[in-house]
Amino acid sequence: MPVATQASLKGLTPEQLEETSCRLCLNNTYHLGLKPGQAVLDAVGGAHRLQGWRHNILTDSGGFQMVSLLKLATITEEGVRFLSPHDGTPMLLTPEHSVALQNSIGSDIMMQLDDVLVTTSPDRERMRVAMERSVRWLDRCIAAHARPETQNLFCIIQGGLDLEMRRECTLAMVERDTPGIAVGGLSGGEAKDDYCRVVETVTALLPELKPRYVMGIGYPEDLVVSVALGADMFDCVWPTRTARFGNAVTKNGVLNLKHSRYAADFGPIEEGCGCICCREGEGGLGITRAFISHNANKETVAAHLLTIHNVWYQLNLMREMREAIIEDRFPAYVRGFFAALYPDRANYPTWAVDTLRRVGVDLLD
Amino acid sequence: MSEPGPQEAMKFEILKAFGNGPRLAKLAVAGRKAIETPNFVTVTSRGTVPHVTPDNLTKHDLVNASYFGLEDFIELHQKNPARRPPIFQTPPSKSGASPLYSFTGTPLSTISVLAPRRIPAVTAPMGNGNDFLSVFTSTGFRNLTVGEYASAIDALRPDVAIAMADLTYGNKKTTPLSKRAIRMAERSDDWIHSLANALGQTPSGTALFAPTLPLPYSTQWEYLETLSEMTDRIRGLAVYDVDIIPDLKDYPPLLPLPRLSLDAPVSPHHILRQVALGADILALPLLNTVSDSGVALTFTFPPPPPSSSSTSPMPLGIDLSHESHQTALAPLMQGCTCYACAAHHRAYVNHLLSAREMLAWTLLQIHNHHVLNAFFAGVRASLRSGEEQFEADREAFMRAYEPEVPAGSGSRPRARGYHLKSAGGDDRLNKSSWGKYGDGSSWPEPEPAAGGGTPAGMDGAPPVRSTTETPLVPEGDATELDQKGFAEIDR
Ligand SMILES: [Zn+2]
Ligand SMILES: [Zn+2]
Repeated sequence: MPVATQASLKGLTPEQLEETSCRLCLNNTYHLGLKPGQAVLDAVGGAHRLQGWRHNILTDSGGFQMVSLLKLATITEEGVRFLSPHDGTPMLLTPEHSVALQNSIGSDIMMQLDDVLVTTSPDRERMRVAMERSVRWLDRCIAAHARPETQNLFCIIQGGLDLEMRRECTLAMVERDTPGIAVGGLSGGEAKDDYCRVVETVTALLPELKPRYVMGIGYPEDLVVSVALGADMFDCVWPTRTARFGNAVTKNGVLNLKHSRYAADFGPIEEGCGCICCREGEGGLGITRAFISHNANKETVAAHLLTIHNVWYQLNLMREMREAIIEDRFPAYVRGFFAALYPDRANYPTWAVDTLRRVGVDLLD
Repeated sequence: MSEPGPQEAMKFEILKAFGNGPRLAKLAVAGRKAIETPNFVTVTSRGTVPHVTPDNLTKHDLVNASYFGLEDFIELHQKNPARRPPIFQTPPSKSGASPLYSFTGTPLSTISVLAPRRIPAVTAPMGNGNDFLSVFTSTGFRNLTVGEYASAIDALRPDVAIAMADLTYGNKKTTPLSKRAIRMAERSDDWIHSLANALGQTPSGTALFAPTLPLPYSTQWEYLETLSEMTDRIRGLAVYDVDIIPDLKDYPPLLPLPRLSLDAPVSPHHILRQVALGADILALPLLNTVSDSGVALTFTFPPPPPSSSSTSPMPLGIDLSHESHQTALAPLMQGCTCYACAAHHRAYVNHLLSAREMLAWTLLQIHNHHVLNAFFAGVRASLRSGEEQFEADREAFMRAYEPEVPAGSGSRPRARGYHLKSAGGDDRLNKSSWGKYGDGSSWPEPEPAAGGGTPAGMDGAPPVRSTTETPLVPEGDATELDQKGFAEIDR
């Protein structure tokens, strides 16, 4: 899922986003709650109508923003208290309020409000409080949910890096039988090995027929390994954010096109890419690295073009993995993916090699 | 005049001229979409229509002709001043498109106009020399000689190239009969000859447009005479001040030439005045400025019949930043068929402006270009009914609408870039926007989170309110820019 934080994907029209093959994008409840605000969302008739997007929308609970802004918020059993960054008014985000906001947004998938701690927090006691509170808050979210027949509420499994706590949380959450299940609290700077252990532990306990969403994950290696661990869906701002700094995500790694070595590089952003920027001929724009380099950080158009490419890259990576799984050649696909990314096998990240070996994919085979 | 002229790649056919005033014509360039005139040229910045990717230009049929300033492409490399600017290293394209098109991704249907400088251009502090123009690139001022400009034209093969004139830019009027004015006419006279000669040796399919100067007739009549003697080599006029057009009647050889106005009109009323004077194609930097200011244009030509209920003039545009549009599901302009109006509504653009999301300016560009295309279509239709009809419509338009486009109260795209003249007053670019609950103090801009969400990407107060220039926009917050560098060639 590309992230359209404020009901817009960084300069792309919904029509252009649709062309990247995106059918599900993420809006941030926290941001939409502040701007345009619930009253406007209600008057306009939800986020689909606000942004002219006829496909699916997932909204977070608004709680995640508290991870990055934790010092700014006070968390109590009632909810999360903070000051509006726009006008300084005190605000309280409760599970009920989060659900009401997401009901106003009308997202197809809504997330429960959870008590998020950074996974690296050493405070085990606080971690347990957060985990247990997240379960209680799920119950409050379910009770407050006004439109369960049209909007799918996902639970979020917490518990930091403590696998036992994660198991406990998973069982409690699965018992509540939400239509989808998310693994939260990751991507907070934990070691990749620890991250993989958590995903592996949780997915082992999840029912087969419910989508599994690992929140805030988006580097290509992370996506591939997480899929191997049994995860289904992801979101990340990284592909679009990095586009704004002139970075192109490609199968051979990230290229910073601002660098002078690309100033007279007249190849496409990525050789063989099927996005409209890289394609030549009918319907393709034939955009060169040189042109992106010429305008990176100077004209918004360079960022828009890279955003189109990067989103297309990520969605295409997921498509290729789906096809590989269906055609029973996923291990080979994963090996090919890492080989393209790291010309020298010696540079394969150990965490990926080890994790994949545990699920039967030997990268060094 | 025995030198060979440029290939007849461009054809300008006057369909109807109303005395010494407005005219209807058709400009056709081989391989491009022909355009009927009066019409307008879109002003690009660094080779792109600000905020609009080339796929959207084509899909929404926004642009007939694009204006490029060569100074946007010829910055000197800081470490390697001998490096040829990348655009000149563009390999030949499979489609045969000139480097100007393949480098910028400009749709091939668009007519291209190349000039030495942007519109509007920053005044050069040192002025021009005897054989060079001082131009402003992203790495600073540099000199552009006539010879260099000629080889640039030869390499980039634009459909139209505007010859160099010894203009000061920025401050429009030069004191008549001053030394400066006389020198301007003399140098421009020299330059058009050397350029035409240089190009004559290597026919490139480019139509050379000669500038007329922002000087009174009394100072440039000799120069105009020169031009009228070289119509075998010049294919059009680039008019820097439309007030000279009436005087062209004394130079019959110049009359059949298309007139491209670079006399940036600031309102549709000004556009109509220029058309009435006989301008055929008008460069409109106005459009970029209006879109950046969060204003959707709302006029049509001819104007709708006056309503009996209201006698006050209608606004030329609406300020979509205004809170009255927060929940407005109406299109940007009633009855508009553009993509922005068909697929979106005022409430969305209002939200995007308030959230400083870049899509706001994209949608406004799409809409405003559409409005101008419709406006010029209306102008041509009116002219087809005769000059009297056009004059009546123009008068009705003047009565129907306010004289000026509303300023727009919203914050513009973050303005940072080399083309902003420093206006003093160092406002902090990024004001802190987060406060701790129960603590009155404000917090520094938060570090961007690794995933899941981003604090407002284009946050921060607009620093300099530029009324003339499309600011160049970096993304992300100041911390990140500081770490990763901004607009640097190497780091
Ligand atoms: Zn691509
Ligand atoms: Zn419109």
